[in-house]
Amino acid sequence: MADKETVIGVETRISGEIRGEEDLVIRGRVDGKIHLSHALTVEKGAIVQADVDVRNLVISGTLVGNMVASESVRLLSTARVVGDLAAPRVIMDAGAAYRGRVDMGDIEAARAAVASRAVAKPVSSSTSTVASTAKERSAPPRVAPTPKTAAFSAKVAPRFVAPAASASTPSSSRSAESASAAPPAFPRVAGTVGSAAPAWAKKKVRRR
Amino acid sequence: MANTVIGSSIVIDGEISGEEAITILGTVKGKVAVAQGVVIEAGATVEADIEGQTVTVSGKVTGNVTAREKLELRPESKMVGNAKAPRIVVADGASFKGNVDMDV
Repeated sequence: MADKETVIGVETRISGEIRGEEDLVIRGRVDGKIHLSHALTVEKGAIVQADVDVRNLVISGTLVGNMVASESVRLLSTARVVGDLAAPRVIMDAGAAYRGRVDMGDIEAARAAVASRAVAKPVSSSTSTVASTAKERSAPPRVAPTPKTAAFSAKVAPRFVAPAASASTPSSSRSAESASAAPPAFPRVAGTVGSAAPAWAKKKVRRR
Repeated sequence: MANTVIGSSIVIDGEISGEEAITILGTVKGKVAVAQGVVIEAGATVEADIEGQTVTVSGKVTGNVTAREKLELRPESKMVGNAKAPRIVVADGASFKGNVDMDV
């Protein structure tokens, strides 16, 4: 048996707090808080609703909550993620859906913010997200990034791994779609999103 | 191999539930309720009520244990709490304090 790996199986659900000094793989459900000095892997099909403070975070499943990683965060193509994210390295693969704020600077401040927060209030960023979503929805679809985004990506470009630039457009359009319903409706499966989306968003999807 | 494994350095404070077997090598506080077997390995500490099909204890358990089929206390195990199961096996060397209910 793998002695140094903890696995939360597909049919297992944990609500509460998980702490530890080893790698953790989640295939099932976890609600609460996760604090590890090693890596956390959220596999495809897993649902995690927790504030997360780890060294490396790899997400292929669904995660709702605020994330702090002292090394890196990687969102794979099947990831569905909502929440603020702080890590020195952030990698988003094409197809990943993400809504929230990214901070590649002050990890300690973000960690303190997560630590001081009560257990499992993952969508605390919803007010700011709703505001930004409303702005996105009223504006026509933009293919080119806004000046602000451009400045941001220029600043972080060297640290952003390759597919991120191309992934940012589809993921932002998808997050606009998924946010067009009430925010708690996330996660939604990509294929079923269309009906509730505004007309321009549908058009955009078809064109792609 | 059990589908869910709680490693030796992991501490869980809360509730674990599920439909599959679980192996605990670390520390769990709260409640464990699963449909399949629960194995508490040597070195593990569980301060929780445990419910499972079969419960096998080699570590340390504080709490009430309900096994729908069988409860087994292995030689090095320590258990404090009430045990409820139709079949209970206590090995030589196990230490146990609590009530036993075998539904007789």
